Amino acid sequence: MLDVGSIRRDFPILQRKMDGKRIVYLDSTATTQKPESVINAIAEFYRNYNANVHRSVYKLGWEATDCYEQARKNVADFIGVKSEEIVFTRNTTESLNLLSYSLEGKLKKGDRILISSMEHHSNILPWMRLEERGINLDYINLTPEGFLDIEDFKSKIKKETKIISITHQSNVLGTINDIDTLSKIAKENDSIFIVDGAQSIPHMPFKMINGIDYMAFSGHKMLGPLGIGVLYGKYENLSELPPFQRGGEMIKEVDFHKVEFEDPPIKFEAGTPNVEGAVGLSAAIDYLKKIGMENVRSHEKYLTRKALDSLSTLKNIQIYGPRDTEKRGGVISFNIRSEAIKRKIASGNIHLDGLLHSHDVASHLDESNVFVRSGHHCAQPLMKYLNIKGTARASFYIYNDIDDIEALVSGLEGIDVQ
Amino acid sequence: MYNDEIMDRYQNPYYFGKPERYSIVIDEASTSCGDKIILYIQEENGVIKQIKFEGDGCIISMVSTDLFCEKATGRNIEEIMRIDESDYVKNFPVEITPGRLNCALLPIRAFRRGVGRANIPGNLK
Repeated sequence: MLDVGSIRRDFPILQRKMDGKRIVYLDSTATTQKPESVINAIAEFYRNYNANVHRSVYKLGWEATDCYEQARKNVADFIGVKSEEIVFTRNTTESLNLLSYSLEGKLKKGDRILISSMEHHSNILPWMRLEERGINLDYINLTPEGFLDIEDFKSKIKKETKIISITHQSNVLGTINDIDTLSKIAKENDSIFIVDGAQSIPHMPFKMINGIDYMAFSGHKMLGPLGIGVLYGKYENLSELPPFQRGGEMIKEVDFHKVEFEDPPIKFEAGTPNVEGAVGLSAAIDYLKKIGMENVRSHEKYLTRKALDSLSTLKNIQIYGPRDTEKRGGVISFNIRSEAIKRKIASGNIHLDGLLHSHDVASHLDESNVFVRSGHHCAQPLMKYLNIKGTARASFYIYNDIDDIEALVSGLEGIDVQ
Repeated sequence: MYNDEIMDRYQNPYYFGKPERYSIVIDEASTSCGDKIILYIQEENGVIKQIKFEGDGCIISMVSTDLFCEKATGRNIEEIMRIDESDYVKNFPVEITPGRLNCALLPIRAFRRGVGRANIPGNLK
């Protein structure tokens, strides 16, 4: 069991009172709060080490470069890969856009890209842009419980399927996809296999497996600062990819009409990088390592089980996603049904779903300082697949405890009235 | 959830329904939250003789649309086009937090865009 009381003391924002009451932060799937050690690491960088990296010959410049490259090594070690396989980006979205642009040259008209119906927009839109170039985008269906339909997955892999890009954990359903199995199936077809790890790397132990060609995740969802993301790529893959953006830092030599690019990962980091972000992310990893990712995962399983059990006692709740906490993470999407909304509508294009709007649910919880996300969670195709407009969503991390779950449930009891 | 005035209006809106006669239809969706409203306006010489709506959305957007219809009935289109958004929000019967501004302003913005598209007298193009 985690000592949540002591963990909470490491997070200055969680000491804050609003209207005299504690805040119940249940939106770590969107972004996590930051421990003092991360905040201090960033301040420490600016206080003592700030200079531009990589091209300085003076001492302070080496030290700044060292901070940046040590951070890269820490990220690499955390997921079991080599430093030169870690590209720093702004976030998961940028990592996946990098892949979309840099892999484009490998694709020809008629090729296919396979993603799933549970993807975040960041793992949809970078691939959808290639449809304009005659590439076909296919979506894997889900089972009624919210798992990927493996038979559908297999049936949608064609010989033209050059890229398969799947989320490791859904940011809406919480479903944890079996990346090992999926990667094996992808590799039987020689497809490039990409994993969106934005919701998995922060929450569970993970070591890179051979079947994954690229993996993307964000620092701010794992206690790190905003604006720092990661793209992992196998070194041989990164070596042969063209750069995404061009400019400062990323070259060996530039002539008037000719350029020789740096080796990976610098080739993909045009311009002065976000050094404070990398340093902050590295401090976040140190913090997570101290707690232990096994402990992070078991704490979230415990909270998710408790939350699912308590929420299920509400009369009008509709919960989405798998119930087995072994196969899902600490994010619970739900709606509240409401019989009050019955209207006769003449227009055929208005669809009444009989659910309280998730924004109303979130606003209601906000009044008691319970902060949950509401809306489509950047997964509109999934909302369409589920035939809903949105959901309210509570998500957990190391600083949440049973009191937070109780506050959520008691807040919802106030509107679970029919 | 909200006060009785809001909840009553949400459950029994005064201006809900599709009228038999109307000269302008404005069909607007707030795609980011799935809200949808259709405004049916009977306009004569720049005056809103009648305005009703159909829609589905959050409590704030539906109540706001009902209140907007009440406010707009019998008024000049030009006048309604000029409604100040911050005044509208300030006078709303429940506090509108920053995260809910778009919900409250849905009918005004729909009206402006729709009337802007329609070729009618009083149009402030």
